[in-house]
Amino acid sequence: MSARRVALALAVVALALAVAIGARPQPAGDTERVDAIAAELRCPVCQGLSVRDSPSETARQMRDLVAQRVREGRSDEAIRDEFRRSYGDWVLLAPPATGWTGLIWALPILLVAGGFLVAGGALRRPTGTAATPAPTPAQLAALRERVASEDAE
Amino acid sequence: MRAARIVAVGAIAGLVIVLVLSFRYDPHDIRSAAVGKPAPAFALPALEGGGTVELASYRGKVVVVNFWASWCIPCKQEHGALASAWSRYRTADVVLIGILYQDDPDAGREFMRRLGGGWPTAIDGDGRVALGFGVFGIPETFFISPDGVIAGRHIGPIDEETLVAGIEAIRIRAVGR
Repeated sequence: MSARRVALALAVVALALAVAIGARPQPAGDTERVDAIAAELRCPVCQGLSVRDSPSETARQMRDLVAQRVREGRSDEAIRDEFRRSYGDWVLLAPPATGWTGLIWALPILLVAGGFLVAGGALRRPTGTAATPAPTPAQLAALRERVASEDAE
Repeated sequence: MRAARIVAVGAIAGLVIVLVLSFRYDPHDIRSAAVGKPAPAFALPALEGGGTVELASYRGKVVVVNFWASWCIPCKQEHGALASAWSRYRTADVVLIGILYQDDPDAGREFMRRLGGGWPTAIDGDGRVALGFGVFGIPETFFISPDGVIAGRHIGPIDEETLVAGIEAIRIRAVGR
């Protein structure tokens, strides 16, 4: 193998490594974390707006609190829990998949599963008219005789 | 066919139950998650006279915490009821604490001077105390029992009857213990 080929192979490997390292999921920065948490929180004085999207004073104060907690090194879960302690699960735009609110997530899955069960049952059932019993030898003989007589005519 | 019918009847029955339960619930009736839990501790700058207003210093008393602002019209409407309750209970084991929320302290002082008051009032400059109590909008009033637990909450302008009922309910429970 020539030195040129070795250099080319090394360059390809180096490029692949650089791409792989560059494509690794990067930990979110503080600003991204604040935005992500604020997007999950419901603004208490708005109609269906997140704390991130609301221009209200209350939402601004909530964002400031989230930013401070992020700076203090609290986890996302701990920050969400702090708001849940004061406002309950209501403050989360996506309700948790536990307890009663879990029904919201489970119900569509249960309905689809039920639909599949019903559809499966319907497909397994034989369709069309009920199977007719096979003719007896006597009936067959009678039929043959009738066909023969009709042919003779 | 029979299974499909059972599923359909079950689905319709479930839907009817959900609708009946949903119509019984007022979507505007926001339940507080803070009720039944210890009141968030706070030590805030006093609106008048310097110093701080600290919740912990009123432990052992019934505390009524009222969030308000000078720009809030319903806060003006309820001010008379708060003043009546204050003059009725100020010598008893009941404390009324006003918390100025999302307002300029000077405007708050002017409001209190104009309408009268005299109960301890604090400034929640960054709104952290209000967020800790789970305040949705002002005026909002919380009843705190002597052991520091939030016993009740009232959203909107409060009248004297509701104030007295909230305070007396806690006092009766405290005596019964």
